Amino acid sequence: MSDLIFDVRNVTLRFGGVVSLNDVSLHQGRGEILAVIGPNGAGKTSLFNSLTGLYRPQEGTITFEGRNGVALSIIGKKAHRVSAAGVARTFQASRMFSALTTFENVKIGAESHRGIGVLGAMVRGPGTRRGEHESDQRTLELLSFVGLSAKANVISASLSYGDRRRLEIARGLATDPQVLLLDEPAAGTNPAEKIQLTELIRRVRDERGVSILLIEHDMKLVMSLAERLYVLNFGSVIAEGTPDEIRANPAVIEAYLGSSEQAEDRA
Amino acid sequence: MAWWRQDWIRRLVTSLAVVAVVELMTGPSGSFAAPTTGLIGSYNERVSVYGLFVGRRWMVFLVLALVFFGVWSAWLRWGPRTRASWRSTMATPREMAARRPVRWGFYLVLLVVAGFLPHLVNDPYWQSVLVEQIAVFVLLALGLNVVVGFAGLLDLGFVAFYAIGAYTTAWVTGALPTPAPFGIHLNPFWAIPVAIVFVMVAGILLGTPTLRLRGDYLAIVTLGFGEIITIFANNLYGITGGSYGSGGTSGSHPIPHFSISLGPIHYRWTLAPVPYYYLTLVFVVLFILGFSLLEHSRIGRAWTAIREDEVAAESVGINPLKYKVMAFAIGAASAGFAGVVTASQSNFIFPATFTLQLSINVLVLVIFGGMGSIPGVVAGAVVIQTVSMYLIHTPPAGFQESDLYMYIGALLIVTMIFRPAGLIPSRRRRREIILSEAGEAHADEVLTGDVA
Repeated sequence: MSDLIFDVRNVTLRFGGVVSLNDVSLHQGRGEILAVIGPNGAGKTSLFNSLTGLYRPQEGTITFEGRNGVALSIIGKKAHRVSAAGVARTFQASRMFSALTTFENVKIGAESHRGIGVLGAMVRGPGTRRGEHESDQRTLELLSFVGLSAKANVISASLSYGDRRRLEIARGLATDPQVLLLDEPAAGTNPAEKIQLTELIRRVRDERGVSILLIEHDMKLVMSLAERLYVLNFGSVIAEGTPDEIRANPAVIEAYLGSSEQAEDRA
Repeated sequence: MAWWRQDWIRRLVTSLAVVAVVELMTGPSGSFAAPTTGLIGSYNERVSVYGLFVGRRWMVFLVLALVFFGVWSAWLRWGPRTRASWRSTMATPREMAARRPVRWGFYLVLLVVAGFLPHLVNDPYWQSVLVEQIAVFVLLALGLNVVVGFAGLLDLGFVAFYAIGAYTTAWVTGALPTPAPFGIHLNPFWAIPVAIVFVMVAGILLGTPTLRLRGDYLAIVTLGFGEIITIFANNLYGITGGSYGSGGTSGSHPIPHFSISLGPIHYRWTLAPVPYYYLTLVFVVLFILGFSLLEHSRIGRAWTAIREDEVAAESVGINPLKYKVMAFAIGAASAGFAGVVTASQSNFIFPATFTLQLSINVLVLVIFGGMGSIPGVVAGAVVIQTVSMYLIHTPPAGFQESDLYMYIGALLIVTMIFRPAGLIPSRRRRREIILSEAGEAHADEVLTGDVA
């Protein structure tokens, strides 16, 4: 079993003539909290979508080493297969099943990788009932882990932004992942929620052994949480290092200081 | 405020306009040669309202417009209060109804009533309507509800599965020009499993390539599939009997009725509708039980997840294609059974039965009753089919059968305005509608556009 969970090599993703990811290489160690930062439009979410099978890069390789040390090539795999292999994610704008309750949202994650039998579902034999019971227990355990037990039966659309993030994290964890990809988890949350969220993310890694890959704009949060960072700009990796190294890196400073002008150009 | 922008003026004008439309709709028809006949006729025609009032139609409708205006204004004034007090009086019964034993008791009573229904109506016309128009359409609506209501896939070609069920029955009982498989002519009872397996396979074959499409594209493709099946039935003269239907060619014979021969029990179904009614009722109950268990199982939740947000569903490990194909195949099963009943009961089948109009009718039942709600679609099918058949059987003055769909369309529009989630809405669907009105739920967009 290698100690890398993600090994991304020379990935290029184009949409027509637009190059979204340009020869991106990065890796993540098992158990690492890794962050990807960069200005708007740098390709961070495209990277996430490529890692989870929603986008299909034209060049390069993405190797994910899941359970049992079996290496899996992500490119060309469908999103649900990637999820089954052990990659979970949250979305930039929370995507819950809004008309369902918090409990149901998480339960869907907990049971999605079980085999499905139409007859089993209709007859409700002991096997099916045991499976239901296990999913229920798992869901309750995860809701208490993220601190949403009290809101289990609330319609998820009525949750606050902070709670939606927790719900998405619980739903992702319910699929029993090796790595959790968080796309701007702190967006739209207040300072108190941010602190709780930081703590929750750290607990996901420490208590459940799930590696974390994070996109975030909130520098304070990133710098306090991440053990290592990659900086993307215009689809390319421009820097890599520990938070201290990144803070001192001239290329990063230029990208960020210059980014306000570039952002205006692009707007 | 300008006088014509006063609220009551608007209400009055709207009332007059609505009633004018109703007046024209229910009035005498024009024709292609004399297009104005309808307009002039509905103005001139003299009517008698239960002998109390004798006069021109437009006067009756003017009074109606004023009544409509009055009720509307009164509702605006006292409606909210009435509704609140109604809600508080109904709180206890509502709570009672939510309890499981009460609900099951209610369903049991309904089942008993359904059991006695053929004897209660006791009229040959209504007995055959019960089978051919109500039971069969309840089956079709239940099946389409799995596809449209549970999985959220707009299927405009549902009639195809009904047709495949009917033609499979004709085939295995030896009633088609093409010989039955292995030369064995089966009793229609054995056609039930065969037809159900056939339509489910057809669902998988159709679903696997097409269900990769979303929304409107899927609707168009399914529409095409429905047409293709009908056209096949029409044109493959040597196999299906073409437009003459089964039994249209020499050497073929009628599709037999069901018959049982089990030890001492011998029973033959005949053209009489009542025995068919009981047979169908048993299957309706079985399908209702099966589908509602599915709805509340892992599979039902996966369907809801896909309907709400396909990308998110995929990211938690649900394979959308697999579940959609499953919905197609499972929904097709009850339509296939409906096909067996139709074929066996009527002895002959014709391609002209399986039209696009039929697909749309079934969709109307589902939407009217409440997408995703099993009690809803059953109620929708019963109500709409009963009303339609009543209007056709005992047409009120001025009603023409060709106008039927116009009235059903109007009924559907009114229902969608006042009960957008249908007659008996499903809880999840009602939430979705409330949320989308509040701008909360996700549209079925492809990925959020964070493309660099």
